[in-house]
Amino acid sequence: MSENGTGAVTFALTGRVDSLNAPELESQLMERLAGRAGAPVVLDASELQYISSAGLRVLLRVKKTNPDMTVTGVNSDVYEVLDMTGFTELMTVEKAYRTVSVEGCEEIGRGANGTIYRIDRDNVVKVYNNPDALEDIRHEREVARLALVLGIPTAISYDVVKVGDSYGSVFELLNASSFSKILAEQPDRMDWCVKEYVEMLRKIHGTLVPKGKLPDVRITALGWAEFMRDWLPEKAGEKLVALIRAVPHDDHMIHGDYHTKNLELQNDEVLLIDMDTLAVGHPIFELASIYNSFVGFSEYDHETIKRFQGFDRETGLTFWKKALAAYLGTTNEMKLREVEDKARVVGYARMIRRSIRRGGLDTEDGRAEIDLWKGELLELLDRVDDLTFDPDELELEALVENLPWVQEFIDSHLESTDCPPKAQMQISLAAEEIFVNIASYAYAPEKGRARVRVEVAGDPVTVTITFLDRGVPYDPLQREDPDVTLSADQRDIGGLGILLTKKTMDDVAYEYKDGQNILTLKKKI
Amino acid sequence: METPVKFDLHMHTTVSDGTDAPERMPERAREAGLRLFAVTDHDAVKGCRILRDALTEADPAFLTGVEFSCKDEQGKYHILGYGYDPETEPIQRVVRTGHGFRMKKVRARLDFLKTEFGFTFPEEEIAALFMLDNPGKPHIGNMMVKYGYAPSKEKAITEYINKVRFRSEYVRPEEAIRGILGSGGIPVLAHPAFGSGDELIVGQEMDARLKRLTAMGLQGVEAFYSGFTPKIIRQMLDFAEQYGLYVTAGSDYHGTNKLIPLGDTGLDDAMPWPDGLHRFLEEVRTRTMYGGKIG
Repeated sequence: MSENGTGAVTFALTGRVDSLNAPELESQLMERLAGRAGAPVVLDASELQYISSAGLRVLLRVKKTNPDMTVTGVNSDVYEVLDMTGFTELMTVEKAYRTVSVEGCEEIGRGANGTIYRIDRDNVVKVYNNPDALEDIRHEREVARLALVLGIPTAISYDVVKVGDSYGSVFELLNASSFSKILAEQPDRMDWCVKEYVEMLRKIHGTLVPKGKLPDVRITALGWAEFMRDWLPEKAGEKLVALIRAVPHDDHMIHGDYHTKNLELQNDEVLLIDMDTLAVGHPIFELASIYNSFVGFSEYDHETIKRFQGFDRETGLTFWKKALAAYLGTTNEMKLREVEDKARVVGYARMIRRSIRRGGLDTEDGRAEIDLWKGELLELLDRVDDLTFDPDELELEALVENLPWVQEFIDSHLESTDCPPKAQMQISLAAEEIFVNIASYAYAPEKGRARVRVEVAGDPVTVTITFLDRGVPYDPLQREDPDVTLSADQRDIGGLGILLTKKTMDDVAYEYKDGQNILTLKKKI
Repeated sequence: METPVKFDLHMHTTVSDGTDAPERMPERAREAGLRLFAVTDHDAVKGCRILRDALTEADPAFLTGVEFSCKDEQGKYHILGYGYDPETEPIQRVVRTGHGFRMKKVRARLDFLKTEFGFTFPEEEIAALFMLDNPGKPHIGNMMVKYGYAPSKEKAITEYINKVRFRSEYVRPEEAIRGILGSGGIPVLAHPAFGSGDELIVGQEMDARLKRLTAMGLQGVEAFYSGFTPKIIRQMLDFAEQYGLYVTAGSDYHGTNKLIPLGDTGLDDAMPWPDGLHRFLEEVRTRTMYGGKIG
């Protein structure tokens, strides 16, 4: 028996405690605790094999004089007895962890904080990277429960074990296979995987989380951006911080590490298995991490993805493109590129910081990889002005050759309405006129970006299309209407388009606001 | 509702393995603030007969008691009996049977010590041993220390006496229950969750046990006991309600042989009394009571 710094009396229980030796144990304890009533008592049960009710009686006795009592290192048999008799309600009982080896076990998943191995047919263990992981395990269990309550299918660990110098949590995972494994072994199931993957992602992003239950990913991302300031030109660093700061707060759930190794198919049921990165925030942060998993991490070394996911870079790229298109509900390449670019801003910032913190600058390959990502990030920061995205808005480079994407974008919005073909053609022509104008004159001779917003609402149904650009202030409506009595070769061609637009639309308006040209077309259909 | 009465219905005297003589118990009970007590020696009613004659109006109320060690094919049980008339034949027959088995056991142990280790004792020591109401391992152990065969009673028991293995004979639970009922007493299962003392019987196993014992005539359970946690007490109270049983409370005080204070029954003043306990105390008021009044 000894006393530690806090004045707690510690006492080791060994072997069996039953009616034969319980009286002796009791008198030893009582003798030791004489005059120390109320002092904390720690009973080390790591060498205790069995305790009978006579032994339990001794614990109860001690508890009466010294209520602050802890029993540590309790094996599972003894724990069961303590639990059954209600001792776990009366005092702090800390379980001993059984030891599990993952040597030779199949790695089935890998997350930000740990690796998941299959230990037998029905069970997997998640081994945490952090050797002092008990707090992480408690956190993950808590958020997994929260997710389950909120309707996200996930496995919840039922035991904590010791694995080498670290800890692991054990989950039941019967007859399950990760989506990465399916993609690697059955390439023909790609589209099915994309569909299930996106369905689950939408479910996560559609889940409203009660305030304060999960961390805000934007705060975390601001940390990455602040870190990056030291590694980027001043203006670029400032812009990165400002971009992230401008993302609105969002109380919907995001997973935070949503890749195909963390998604399991168990008897036709799709399950999430790695929940410790759960947070709330805008979906752009999720898309950033998804981009990194499937594309970003293997941009320098194309073999990286093979080592991590088990499938090749081509599969990763295809999966990313298909998943993004399915998630956004569009095949419009300009729309996909717009959102991908925003995701990459956050994604690169995260990857560069991660690599630098892990000694990436110490090796030649590491430096080359960081340079590659940094180049991409700087290029993106030059043109991306906003990280949010909106299904009703298309942001793209104002180039004449991008016109088909603008028209496709508008058409896809009109598809869901009963727009008469004539009106649709008039809208298309008007949009062409305005977009070509912007592409030709707004930034000339430089290049710039434009945004096209489409809204269909009201009664009678009205289509409103708004064009925004940051080029030179210019109101196309101010120019005089062309003289249509003149012969063709004497007329100003552009002017004719504007006239046509004014005639076919119900309303055409222009304003210059916050450094932007804003032109609005309205058409009742 | 009247103020809860402090009471303890489970304690041992020198008639079995306690360290206080029966005559000392009223004083002990008074010191512990008890208004009602019952002496429950193992397989013996002698202490109650002594007390019945010694008690006065100034003493706490006294209820006759006994604790029979029983066994059948399903396990071991300690069955308490309360409020019986110690002068009647049914309970005395159970005591005689139990005493006979106990004497056979002492005889077997002494034979074993002699043949196995060559330990012998003077005739008069052995005679004195058989004169005891309740001789057992501690008495043999003490004798071995006295004659230099073992350094302590504990060592004598663990290293020599416990080496002997023989089939012990026990009173059957239905015999004990019938005897208690036959002498006007109330049969109650002692420390139910601890089985015969050092087991752990809860849940379905407890349920099966109560089903059998109530069919034999068991009427109560010792739901409050010094070694029980609140969880066990809750479970026992649920069983009592389910089976419509009386509820009792006892410490299992053994004097200085065990570190259990008299009156420590697990029933604290703040706790509301279950219906089964109210009914039990009402019932025993009509039985043979000695000493002063309960409340």
